[in-house]
Amino acid sequence: MESIRTIGRFSVFSGQVLKRSALLRWNFREMIAHLDVTIRRCIFPVLAVVFPFGMVISLQGLEVFRLFGAERMLASLASVAIIRELSPVLASILVAAQAGSANAAELGAMRIEEELDATEVMAVDSLSVHVVPRVLALVIACPILNILGTIGGLAGSFVTAVYLKGENAAIFMSELGAYTTPFDITTSFIKTAIFGLIIGLVSCFFGYNTQGGAEGVGRAVNNTVVYSVLMFFVANYFLTSAMFGATQ
Amino acid sequence: MNPLQLLGGLGRFSLFCWTFFKAAIGRRPPAGKVMGEAYSIGVRSLPILMVIAIFVGTNLTLQGYYAFQPIGGQNLVGMFVGLAGVRELAPIIAASMVAAKAGTHMASQVAVMRSREQIDALEVMGVNAHWYLITPRFLGIMLVMPALTTLAIFGMLASSYGVAVHQLGLNGTEFLEFVRAATESRDLIICNIKALFFGAVICLVCCYNGFNSEPGPKGVGNATNRAVVTAAVSCVLLNYLISEIAYA
Repeated sequence: MESIRTIGRFSVFSGQVLKRSALLRWNFREMIAHLDVTIRRCIFPVLAVVFPFGMVISLQGLEVFRLFGAERMLASLASVAIIRELSPVLASILVAAQAGSANAAELGAMRIEEELDATEVMAVDSLSVHVVPRVLALVIACPILNILGTIGGLAGSFVTAVYLKGENAAIFMSELGAYTTPFDITTSFIKTAIFGLIIGLVSCFFGYNTQGGAEGVGRAVNNTVVYSVLMFFVANYFLTSAMFGATQ
Repeated sequence: MNPLQLLGGLGRFSLFCWTFFKAAIGRRPPAGKVMGEAYSIGVRSLPILMVIAIFVGTNLTLQGYYAFQPIGGQNLVGMFVGLAGVRELAPIIAASMVAAKAGTHMASQVAVMRSREQIDALEVMGVNAHWYLITPRFLGIMLVMPALTTLAIFGMLASSYGVAVHQLGLNGTEFLEFVRAATESRDLIICNIKALFFGAVICLVCCYNGFNSEPGPKGVGNATNRAVVTAAVSCVLLNYLISEIAYA
């Protein structure tokens, strides 16, 4: 029962946030400030995760392709895997862990210290001041971080393939775009924007509704990471099915 | 974060680990707490981990299918799932979900104890706080990590079988044959070794951040936030190192 109630409250909350963002009842400068903080906070973790993953792809991919003597396939496989799937998912996990949980922690602390109530008392709508800019900043930040992550991942697989495993750099570069289409890049862009929206809504929902002192803030952060990752993995399956279904 | 701060943090973290191991090695863990922690970590993380593993499996299969379709190797999907899923993704997914669920819980618990001065109270009573608080969590996570990773592999393979056979219409027997061709028992052992390392890293990183949190709701939130990001990043970096040593 409790979980159904939470889903209902989350839907109402999302509706309120989306309505305010559609009606442009939010502060543009605040959004840019959050965007700046989000990207600066996340860029290092995203690169630190996607770069080694690109290296692992090269490592494992080369082992398989050497069986068939098809090492030149490596670059195209790596670029397809990184652009379509790995970079969007890993970048979003890290954004959820870093920016999402920071959002929840900040809003939770504001709720506990009664800053949100103070805003309401001053007849300022706390959703449009504190929540909508954060959500929109994540919607914009996620695709940007995804592009940086993609570049980092490709660089990682290039480094392993060329410098550690001694493949030919020119072949790697020329095979890079063999199976990648502009469609892949567009879908990866759309996907991460949707993931950003999910992370933003979930983190602000849990932060905004924090209860019970410092422990409550910890619980809000915990719930944020878990539920936003859960929700965008589920969304990812349907998005992937839909996008490949569209090309067939 | 500038490099000097990073270096300083690494140094403090190493000192923390050294203090913990000095306090814990050769001493019995606090009576009757290890199984409780193992149960709480394992049971808390299992549902979310299974859902994520299932959706990672479905996605891996879809991506593999559409990536190999242009070269007419749809049947290689099984091999792709076996290699990418079992060797790399399952341990990473298990580690990041345990970090997100049990790790953040650990960090916020310890941080709340710090902000309520319970850790100081322990020290005043002459109980070694490192030993009393970390040992049960450390042993508990070491007990459950291999089991969680194995279950994640199982969930992933089951869901990718479901997608391959029922959504994409591949031959089930052939799919399983390719999975079996790509994985050996050695891969499972390496997976579990990885899981042990990840468990140790998650526990130490999360407890370190909890121990060094600032008091108040903001401090707890920040500590939890830092804990989950640091744990995820260090697990991915460690994953590359172990893969490089084990497979190259």
